[in-house]
Amino acid sequence: MTARKPALITVDGVAGAAIVAAARIALTSIDRAKRSGISHWDASGVFEELAVAGAAAGAPSVRTLLLLYAADLAFRLRWEIRPALAEGRSVVAAPYVETAVAFGRAAGIGREWLANLFQFAPRPTERLFVDGAVARAGRGGGFVEFGLAQVSGDALGATRAQLASRMSAHLRAAARRRELSG
Amino acid sequence: MPQSRASLRRQAREHFTRASRRGLLVAFEGPDGSGKTTQRKLFKTWLKAEGYDVVTTKWNSSDLIKPIIKSRQAVRALSPEEFSLLHGADFRHRVEQVILPALWAGKVVVADRFLFTGLARDVARGLDLDWVLKLYQPLLWPDLVFYFAVSPRTSGKRILATRTPQFYEAGQDVTDVDDPVESYQRFITRLIREYESLALIFNFVTVDAERSIGEQHHEIRRLFREGEKRPWSDWNADAVAEWLAIGGGGA
Repeated sequence: MTARKPALITVDGVAGAAIVAAARIALTSIDRAKRSGISHWDASGVFEELAVAGAAAGAPSVRTLLLLYAADLAFRLRWEIRPALAEGRSVVAAPYVETAVAFGRAAGIGREWLANLFQFAPRPTERLFVDGAVARAGRGGGFVEFGLAQVSGDALGATRAQLASRMSAHLRAAARRRELSG
Repeated sequence: MPQSRASLRRQAREHFTRASRRGLLVAFEGPDGSGKTTQRKLFKTWLKAEGYDVVTTKWNSSDLIKPIIKSRQAVRALSPEEFSLLHGADFRHRVEQVILPALWAGKVVVADRFLFTGLARDVARGLDLDWVLKLYQPLLWPDLVFYFAVSPRTSGKRILATRTPQFYEAGQDVTDVDDPVESYQRFITRLIREYESLALIFNFVTVDAERSIGEQHHEIRRLFREGEKRPWSDWNADAVAEWLAIGGGGA
């Protein structure tokens, strides 16, 4: 893949390590002079700060985590993604919107709420979806693994394995929709 | 086996309509310098004397999210979207951890600012009302919203008498005015305009905050006595059902 115009290439999936690996491959396929870098989740440090909060603060719900993910994405767009595109360079966002949507949908959050939440995010030029088993909660360095570790078991309404499976199904369906729509 | 949302909504309705003294949510809204905190404190003291179990919740106060917001405010690093989303997260966390547990237990929750603060401030920062309102879904509506109405001039006079407004309080992130005092006057004018629109849309009880403290307090007591007899609003069923679904209420 060689992007001609500055492109926003997104990589979504459930497994943090697989997302990063696919993002690196996507980046190296772009001419060095025309690429910026990879915009990773938690560039703003919101989740790093969340992770050190004491247990007394109470575990966040999936909805709270999604609001924070959107805040982090707004930060990434402002400082990493839009500036790169404005300089005429392509950028890889890994993960982007679909990972968070899959996380929310798997936990029972409504489609409309999620669509509204990420309304500010521009449409990618190219979307990549990666399949791969989610690492144990808290491992693997991805948003999904982080989220599964943060949210209490009761609040998930399903086992972590069930949720990961639902997320994968959602992402596969999103990938199929992309193929069908060209 | 998780319960369906319909069944959880039914459980919410039954809980709040059958209780002999159900939980009540009372919100105090208004711009800075409107005197709502003074009134909120007087009201809480009175409620306790009347035998109510009272819980207070303030804007941007969750132990989980507040430090994140504060650190970014300190370095002036927030865009309007980030400002809005982080306050939405703080609010959601308090709804789940403080407000709904207290209401479920039959307490009176007195909120010093509620989601309308987020709406007014975000819209005054140029964001779309519909987008911001949906961030707060599923919506939890207060039983009563007291709106403390003051003019931009009075707000400015009261605030500037004691301190210089902070960067975001003065709206300097959107006014592009270097002087915090001048910026505050511009921003508070926009903010009050948004509050007044919200007061009409959402049917706030407007308190004339230019009147004496004692007059306002007695009016609030009277309005609360009327308001507490209102039936539980079924609009809140979705918010309660979602909280039950994530383990609230010991479900």
